[in-house]
Amino acid sequence: MKNLIITGLLASISFAGLSQREIEYVEYDLDNGIHVILHEETSTPIVAVSVLYHVGSKNEKDERTGFAHFFEHLLFEGSENIERGEYSELVEKNGGTLNANTSWDRTFYYEILPSNQLELGLWLESERLLHAKVDNTGIETQRSVVKEEKRQRDTPYSSFIEEMFSRMYPDHPYRWMPIGSMEHLDAAEEKDYVDFYRTFYVPANATLTIAGDIDIEETKKWINKYFNSIPKGQALNLYRDLETLEEEAFVEIYGMSKERFDANDFSNPDGKLAGALLNKLSNSPIRIPRPTEPQVKLSEVKTAVVHDNIQLPALFMGYQTPSQTHEDMYALQMMNDVLAGGASSRINKSLVEQKQMAVQAFAFAFGLEQAGVALFGAIGSAGQELDAIQSEFDLQIKMIQDELISQEEFEKVRNQYENDFVSSNATIAGIAENLADNHVYNGGAEKINTELAKYLDVTREDIQRVAKKYLTQDARIVLHYLPMEEGAEESENGQN
Amino acid sequence: MKNYILTLGLILPTVLFGQIDRSIRPEAAPAPTINIKNSEVFTTANGITVILSENHRLPRVSFNLSMGATPRVEGDKAGLSGVAGSLIMSGTANHSKDELDNAIDYMGASLRASSTNVSMSCLTKHMDKGLDLMSDVVMNANFPQSEVDRIISQNEDNLLATKSQEAEMSGNARAVANFPSTHPYGEVMTQATLENIDRASIVQYFKETFTPNGSYLVVVGDITLEQAKAAVEKNFSSWSGGEVYKAELESANNIKGNRVVFVNKAGADQSVISITYPLDITPSHEDYLKLKVLDGILGGGVFGNRLMQNLREDKGYTYGCRSRARVDNYGSSFSAGGNFRNDVTDSAIVEILLELERITEGLVEDEELSMTKSSMAGSFARSLERPSTVARFALNIIRNELPKDYYQTYLKQLEAVTKEDILMVAQKYMTGSNCNIVVVGNEEVIDRITKFDSDGKIEKLDAFGNEASEKMEADITADQLLEKYSTAMAMGATGKDLKKKLKKMKSHVTVIEMKIPQAPGPALATTVWTSKGAEGSKMEMMGMTMQSSYFDGKQGGSGGQGGAKIMTEEEIVEKKKSYGLIPEMNYAESGMDYELTGIEMYDGKPCYVLKLKEAKKVTFEYFDKETSLKTASVIMAETDQGTQEVTYTYADYKEYGGFLFPDTMNLFVSGMQLPGKVKSRKINEKVDLNDFK
Repeated sequence: MKNLIITGLLASISFAGLSQREIEYVEYDLDNGIHVILHEETSTPIVAVSVLYHVGSKNEKDERTGFAHFFEHLLFEGSENIERGEYSELVEKNGGTLNANTSWDRTFYYEILPSNQLELGLWLESERLLHAKVDNTGIETQRSVVKEEKRQRDTPYSSFIEEMFSRMYPDHPYRWMPIGSMEHLDAAEEKDYVDFYRTFYVPANATLTIAGDIDIEETKKWINKYFNSIPKGQALNLYRDLETLEEEAFVEIYGMSKERFDANDFSNPDGKLAGALLNKLSNSPIRIPRPTEPQVKLSEVKTAVVHDNIQLPALFMGYQTPSQTHEDMYALQMMNDVLAGGASSRINKSLVEQKQMAVQAFAFAFGLEQAGVALFGAIGSAGQELDAIQSEFDLQIKMIQDELISQEEFEKVRNQYENDFVSSNATIAGIAENLADNHVYNGGAEKINTELAKYLDVTREDIQRVAKKYLTQDARIVLHYLPMEEGAEESENGQN
Repeated sequence: MKNYILTLGLILPTVLFGQIDRSIRPEAAPAPTINIKNSEVFTTANGITVILSENHRLPRVSFNLSMGATPRVEGDKAGLSGVAGSLIMSGTANHSKDELDNAIDYMGASLRASSTNVSMSCLTKHMDKGLDLMSDVVMNANFPQSEVDRIISQNEDNLLATKSQEAEMSGNARAVANFPSTHPYGEVMTQATLENIDRASIVQYFKETFTPNGSYLVVVGDITLEQAKAAVEKNFSSWSGGEVYKAELESANNIKGNRVVFVNKAGADQSVISITYPLDITPSHEDYLKLKVLDGILGGGVFGNRLMQNLREDKGYTYGCRSRARVDNYGSSFSAGGNFRNDVTDSAIVEILLELERITEGLVEDEELSMTKSSMAGSFARSLERPSTVARFALNIIRNELPKDYYQTYLKQLEAVTKEDILMVAQKYMTGSNCNIVVVGNEEVIDRITKFDSDGKIEKLDAFGNEASEKMEADITADQLLEKYSTAMAMGATGKDLKKKLKKMKSHVTVIEMKIPQAPGPALATTVWTSKGAEGSKMEMMGMTMQSSYFDGKQGGSGGQGGAKIMTEEEIVEKKKSYGLIPEMNYAESGMDYELTGIEMYDGKPCYVLKLKEAKKVTFEYFDKETSLKTASVIMAETDQGTQEVTYTYADYKEYGGFLFPDTMNLFVSGMQLPGKVKSRKINEKVDLNDFK
């Protein structure tokens, strides 16, 4: 095992006047490719065990959308050694909690446990990675759960993100939502699910992050036991086949009997041939498909009308922005907040409070792995013309492009980032998630210690510059949400 | 396949890892020791007890100021403390509400207040500014009249909404069932007590309650003792006030035998059951933790507890059935229950009472005890991650007079709880035979629940815990009521006179202005009727038609933002059952299904209640017994989202064209109040039904 140890301290830089404490951590790779990050924080006797899988809805095939999110549910069904329904029960009765979430780019699982249950957490997560139950019984159960979740998510206006993304990135899997299509989930067969599991739930695609009251050396030993024992490369397929296939089918694939292998002592098969096969497969990596970045550059204004089950009309506007790792994202996010983040932002003040054209106005700066969207929205007051709301947005955008923001607004948004940043690292679960995210998506776990400085380096001029560069009035998506009309259902989609 | 295996045979296998038996589940390591740092405690000259819990992990600090007064009996101003609490952040002599909000926003900080508490948290570097604002609120909150009016009217809306919220109604009934009206926990705010709350009483409440004497200031976070002392001195030394209010509270009610308390929720399809009684215990009592473990096993724990297992998993009566022991220094109580379908209301009560008895009859299983303890230990450990928890513990130790090491040794005490302890507290505190059995639900379940009452006489309460006026048998028939009503509408005219009057009425156009919460302008509701049988209605906002409907006597439809629709055959059949200027006059021959159910109090007045059954709705109409005019309609409509309840109230009847019509029509829907005033009623004007298509 070649352990590459980097401590957070070595790369540290100190920031005078910043409300940030250095977060120390240890990170290394296991032989099978799992990346491990450990953060010791002893003030509370609890531990967060998390695994981030670098798979989200953007890794799905366009006729099998919703898979990544579906797995977030399916992988609580149990494993070879964990009975159905027992996964969460084990965590709860040992004093812990657990949860998971899925985005366009990732699937994240975690448990928060009393620190003396760390080994249980490691065992649970290693079971999920090594040999989770992916079978028809679990698929059927979770299909109905996911459908119910989808029903609950279908709230008024909620389709706007998909309406926006599908027009913004028509050539990229970002065009569909992580929840995906229920028809696709229904149409998929057990084999599709098994293939997905075998492609993305592999060590080389996993980041194991542990934060809390741990002893680093002891933790490493347990990690070695439960995670380093997970076969590398395609040898993992052999292990899974050993457990799930009948002898005949196994021989068909591998040319030798199952009896040559022992799941409990997998690295020492019986005979040279079996050893050679295992070695060969271990050294053949599993290819993880990743989409190429979106190629289509938005070059015009696309306006669409969407009829929804709503009472009040709404306007949404979106602009193409770069991916989350681009330097401009810091200034872009702050610009977004000056315009529409919070009650005292410019657009909220003008649209909601002073002119009362809207009951609510907001902004999101989506920074995803391969692209971004700056998104503005307002739910109009009853009877409000959306064109007037759009003019007001345009006026505010022109202002931020033409003039520097005031020193006071600048300070306020800086203060808010600082506060948010400190808050996001207030819990061990938050730290574990930030470390993992930064490792996978932002060029290194160390970003957890340097990112705030990046935000605070942003100048008022930067904000003006990115406003001019990205808020392109001649290239954007504009969505008008209107209450349903008769026959609207048929023509709801695809109007431009 | 074979080929490449052959070539690979030359490469020697390397040992990747050793043996592992994955079916062996890891054992827990020894329980961690919990290190809860002792807090620093000091008092100020003006009487504040300051509790400091240093924690420099994050550059944040919080100040939480709680008043030490015993809760007061508010009497005819019940609800005063709550109203006052929601007004404390409404501005001070130095800063308007907007200025406060903006200043807090600017720092990314938070500043909040409740009836006995003001708290502030921020990054350490903003502490001076944050404390400046906090102490300003504590000392100078000035309760602007406009904000007082706004909050009072908000409370009025909430009170009206209570009548359609079963959980609120159950809470009110529980309060009065367990505590006397002379105890703060037995008081419930009503429209009448709200009317007695004005700015002067709010200011007085604030002045009497917010005094440094006997108050507790909990300081947590990135701050040293010296800095905390300096900050408290600078910001709170000039704060002065009267003596802290301390009083002995009345005892809770003494429940002898089982007592059924019923709250009527017309048309309800499920019963909210709460089996509840007062507990004679405070947090400092040695039984406290044992009782909490018992509560976890019975129905308070996360999963697998007895009530859930029995009523949900085994019987399928409900989605959730839980118990909760609420223990504090002023009045403790136990409750167990959930929401149950009408037809299993009695079976559910049987099972809950059974579980309350069963736990007193034998030792609990090892498994359920250890599971509950682990789950409690885990949630205790996780709670420690929040710096505020440590401070809360420190405050609890002082306020509840707990041993100094209570929380340090909490896990040990928890571990030490035995099955015998559980049986002991069960026999001491649990009962299935001296309980209030509170049921909020449909009248039709009364027959099912009466048998549980020891003396066979159930108590009926209204939504606010007041004795419900007994429903009386009507002294007239439904048809007599309808006749009285039409006579009253026609100002005394009957028979031929009435017909003559009606003949003169060719059309009737009403425009009502409705205020809609949070909307920038009012809505206008127009309804028209013509003697030829045409009817139309529409709702407009800011010049846009939101909703409209029409019926020409034979067919009709609706339009507006919801899209155009044509009435179905079924809808037409229903519509034809209520025709005419006074549809009630025609019920006898129109096929309407109507029934006079009795006399009930509505808004303090005895009213005849007429129940109308239509295909997809049930309506209860209330007619003032004295005037025979309609005071309210409560409509329970079946929709795709379940039953929707809509209430209209009518008042201020005035004469138009020889008939009395209400000038005030308020609408209540989904917890919202939409007050409506008649802007105009025009008689015999030309009507174009096309305006409503």
